[in-house]
Amino acid sequence: MEEPHVFDSLPAYALGSLDAPEAKMVAQHLAGCHICRSELQVFQEVAGQIALTAPQAELARDLKPRLMERIHSLNQQARPKPWLTGRLIPIGAMASLLLIGALAISNLVLWQRLDQLDVLAGPLGMRAIALQNTDAAPAASGFVIVSADGEDGVLVVDELPKLDAQREYQLWLVRNGSTTSGAVFSVDESGYRGMRIEAPQSLLTYSSVLVTIEPVGGSVEPYGEHILAGSLFNP
Amino acid sequence: MLKNSEQDDFQLIKLIAQSRQDAINELYERYKRLVFSVAIAIVGDQGVAEEITLDVFVQVWQKAESYRPELAKVSTWMIAITRNHAIDILRWQRSRPEANSVQWEDRTVQNGPLIHNLEEQIESSLKKERVRKAVAQLPEDQREALALAYFKGYTQSQISELLKQPLGTIKTRIRLGMQKLRKLLEED
Repeated sequence: MEEPHVFDSLPAYALGSLDAPEAKMVAQHLAGCHICRSELQVFQEVAGQIALTAPQAELARDLKPRLMERIHSLNQQARPKPWLTGRLIPIGAMASLLLIGALAISNLVLWQRLDQLDVLAGPLGMRAIALQNTDAAPAASGFVIVSADGEDGVLVVDELPKLDAQREYQLWLVRNGSTTSGAVFSVDESGYRGMRIEAPQSLLTYSSVLVTIEPVGGSVEPYGEHILAGSLFNP
Repeated sequence: MLKNSEQDDFQLIKLIAQSRQDAINELYERYKRLVFSVAIAIVGDQGVAEEITLDVFVQVWQKAESYRPELAKVSTWMIAITRNHAIDILRWQRSRPEANSVQWEDRTVQNGPLIHNLEEQIESSLKKERVRKAVAQLPEDQREALALAYFKGYTQSQISELLKQPLGTIKTRIRLGMQKLRKLLEED
């Protein structure tokens, strides 16, 4: 028997006002129902239009220079560029090229043996850590590669479910029970994505990583469903 | 000069994905007030709303490559980023013991003057007026439930507690309100 549609829940889902258990149930249904996904898109557009009822407010005059300054600063850090056809590994600093090399060498091995990989000592002291999936995405896989000095790291994921326009994946770096965002990302048609980890401090100072589903743009703390997790090499 | 259409918005996003600063500059001019207005309507503080606005455009700059036009219009995508970011901050503020959250009745701009030059606004005043009229046609209880969900990020259970109404009643108000709003907007 087919799962019943969730039409009645879609308006509240589009507003993000469903309580967590019901939101999870709807999200699971949406993953396999194009009819409800299509209906949801309509309600998401309706929800977006509610924004137009917000009172119009004036901006501070200096906002645009501040924006361009931030963008200039990002450019100074080198904007991520695609690497490999169809398999994109954005890399920022020159030091990260070392990681690309290691990834290129070990890529096939890793993809074939992810389920057996816990911690792989790579060349130049780099580490590759396989992430464990959860029941929320049993086919998902992923790993993190960290440079020897902990200053650079890459996250590579595969077969993650595609999400609707309201949600994205978020990588969290965990230390002493507190979390720091390391990346917010979406995946391609095959559920693949590779990216540099943006860590405010050396990755050697974190004990584990976590990937969750969060509202588009990311959250300040991990509220959403856990998809992947893995222990780093720190206590 | 590009027209402010969705197609042009998508072209801008593609240019931003190529690190074109003139494109992010143009997108900023188009959407700065909308983004800021949504942010301040949610957090109620000029300074915080400005930071959110900056964050949104920086995120667009960083994530332009991942934008998927088949899932949402550029404006819908940007509004969703804005709203989610602002509501995250609002929830974080609420979770603090010293939090002094803005009441729904205060959902007006407190620290910034209203804009008078509508011609400079990104979305046409006509479109805004159409949406406002549609929202105004909703029954008061439905409008209130939608506003608490959209601008304050409350879940249906939280709205139920806040308004001291059964959860089923709140669910119905939100469902009917959204369905009616959809119909009204489609009629125009």
